[in-house]
Amino acid sequence: MTSPEASPRSVSQMPVAEGKSVQQTVELLTRKLEMLGAEKQGTFCVDCETYHTAASTLGSQGQAGKLMYVMHNSEYPLSCFALFENGPCLIADTNFDVLMVKLKGFFQSAKASKIETRGTRYQYCDFLVKVGTVTMGPSARGISVEVEYGPCVVASDCWNLLLEFLQSFLGSHTPGAPAVFGNRHDAVYGPADTMAQYMELFNKIRKQQQVPVAGIR
Amino acid sequence: MADVLSVGVNLEAFAQAISAIQALRSSVSRVFDCLKDGMRNKETLEGREKAFIAHFQDNLHSVNRDLNELERLSNLVGKPSENHPLHNSGLLSLDPVQDKTPLYSQLLQAYKWSNKLQYHAGLASGLLNQQSLKRSANQMGVSAKRRPKAQPTTLVLPPQYVDDVISRIDRMFPEMSIHLSRPNGTSAMLLVTLGKVLKVIVVMRSLFIDRTIVKGYNENVYTEDGKLDIWSKSNYQVFQKVTDHATTALLHYQLPQMPDVVVRSFMMSPCWMRTVNSPLLPQTCKGTTSYRNRCLVIAVVAPVSVAAVLSP
Repeated sequence: MTSPEASPRSVSQMPVAEGKSVQQTVELLTRKLEMLGAEKQGTFCVDCETYHTAASTLGSQGQAGKLMYVMHNSEYPLSCFALFENGPCLIADTNFDVLMVKLKGFFQSAKASKIETRGTRYQYCDFLVKVGTVTMGPSARGISVEVEYGPCVVASDCWNLLLEFLQSFLGSHTPGAPAVFGNRHDAVYGPADTMAQYMELFNKIRKQQQVPVAGIR
Repeated sequence: MADVLSVGVNLEAFAQAISAIQALRSSVSRVFDCLKDGMRNKETLEGREKAFIAHFQDNLHSVNRDLNELERLSNLVGKPSENHPLHNSGLLSLDPVQDKTPLYSQLLQAYKWSNKLQYHAGLASGLLNQQSLKRSANQMGVSAKRRPKAQPTTLVLPPQYVDDVISRIDRMFPEMSIHLSRPNGTSAMLLVTLGKVLKVIVVMRSLFIDRTIVKGYNENVYTEDGKLDIWSKSNYQVFQKVTDHATTALLHYQLPQMPDVVVRSFMMSPCWMRTVNSPLLPQTCKGTTSYRNRCLVIAVVAPVSVAAVLSP
């Protein structure tokens, strides 16, 4: 079976503007996009749960438990992604969640670990932009921006174009090339690469301090 | 009303004619009054008759005068204007139920529109004839009698020959692979895959290229039946633009006598080759402003290729 193809995406975090709340920064971004001429096209949601290997399965060498992330993406509603930090990514169907319950002995869910990003999708020419608020529990922790360029399949071909487009509406907050882009030239991009980028983003946000709520929403 | 301006010159005569009619009517009614009243009472019968006849004659003269006046004025007024664009249908404008059935104004609109359409079509055909797109071997202007009776042989080529030409071109470039199939009769359908960038569906008629559609590498080129989908356009604007340029290229390259040269030039044209050697999706190019233009930088490449002169 051939590996699934997807259009290259760049997932990055937009820092919250000074003196503004997360909500206001998201509104700023979406207004910029609408002025650019993008059309709203529904909503999206990406969520992630963390599991760590149960203590009972650790060998006598005392190897550290690995963290496994189980993620869902509304772009692929019938799929479930399971990935390790630097390891392989498994793409399964939604029954995998039920399977995880059965594997309670081997993988235990870390407490309060569910992190998700929700927001709106915008379509501009052949670009698809998704701006979402990253929330952990009840609190908003940051902003995620994902840009996808449809016609392309090989990541290295279109990074420059994506960069320019990001610069137009993110300005100085434009991210650098994602690690997955640089790894393999001429390799076909896949959904697993997108989920790896989201996983990195979520980990980064988890480590950040909570965003101070400044001003009235 | 359209007639107002053309009759405007004679509006005075018109008004005078109307008052002349009124004068005529009153003199005619005076005649009948006089008859009705009969003879006035006078001393002698003769006197009465004379008075009556004189009165009657006066009235008749005035009727005559008014009638002549009316005839003179009606000649001045003249006929209604001949400027009706719709001649008899213009009489529709006299229909008093204007609001419910505005036939006359709608007719005028339709007439003006069709005139404009004819004019524009004439202009367009003049412009289009300058760029002849006929790909047949016959020349224009040669009368039907002197045209060769034999059918052009390039339209009826054995499918094996077409297969050979295509497979030869297939072997020319490593990144380009051509897959030939004949799902609908004898016309060949090529699926050209260019690296991991795009797929082109080329519909041919013997060795002449009829149509092309360019789609992205990840788009589905087959219908639900599993047959090659030759009609649906690409979902991406970049490739829609490339399709337009490819179509321009296939119309540009014309050599009715040597179609295999045409096919080879089409496949080799910078339209495709640039996209593989340096990626279709470009490096940053400074100096342009909008993203539409940058996504469609092939628009810069392809017109250059189309303007190139075909060299056999």
